[in-house]
Amino acid sequence: MQVKVLFFGVLVEVTGSNCKFYSGAKSIGALKLMIQDEFPGIAHYNFCISLNNEIVNNDRNLKDGDEVALMPPFAGG
Amino acid sequence: MAVNSIYSMVINYLISGSITPVVITTLIGKLAERTDTGGHSIFLGQVRADEINGKKVRAIEYSAYEAMVRVEADKIKDTILSEFTDTKSIDIVHSTGVVNAGEISLFVLVSARHRKQAIEACSKTVELIKSKLPIWKKEIFEDSSREWRQNISS
Repeated sequence: MQVKVLFFGVLVEVTGSNCKFYSGAKSIGALKLMIQDEFPGIAHYNFCISLNNEIVNNDRNLKDGDEVALMPPFAGG
Repeated sequence: MAVNSIYSMVINYLISGSITPVVITTLIGKLAERTDTGGHSIFLGQVRADEINGKKVRAIEYSAYEAMVRVEADKIKDTILSEFTDTKSIDIVHSTGVVNAGEISLFVLVSARHRKQAIEACSKTVELIKSKLPIWKKEIFEDSSREWRQNISS
């Protein structure tokens, strides 16, 4: 099972990437831990998480092909 | 720029670079097609040359989660149209990429039967754009250094 993870704003610089693929995480919470292990610096930043264009909590389950995004506070306008 | 490509910006909500006077006047000109509206309210967001810690902002670089911008902007329009029932249409265009100080990066046009709702609905639309659209900005200073910026009120 593989999910696509998009990084935005300052998180692009923290992770050095716009997009990465992760396997094995069953929930948003588990995926978040996996990403935090890889990029410990991410803990210093506020962000919310979307699953297929909808903002979700840690307890949401993941399925193959899902698109997840890590989004710092919005700054449009 | 072809008129059709300007109309497609309204459907996709995003434009690469600044929102030029041609885009703005084309969208205003399109109002002549309507006969059910009596008032239109327009908001233009402009890049300000703020001075931060002694450094002047030369431009802002916007980035967006484009697919989610479409979903969220559709929701904003639905919210406004159901709350302000006199409102007939809402156009939203936001820049991505680099926009220089003095240029326009946000265009909102709300059309209603009467002026009061046009003005109130436009104001609320701008507030929702700022809080709901997944867009980020990085300030580019005159010395070419860059810094991510968050929205503060108003």
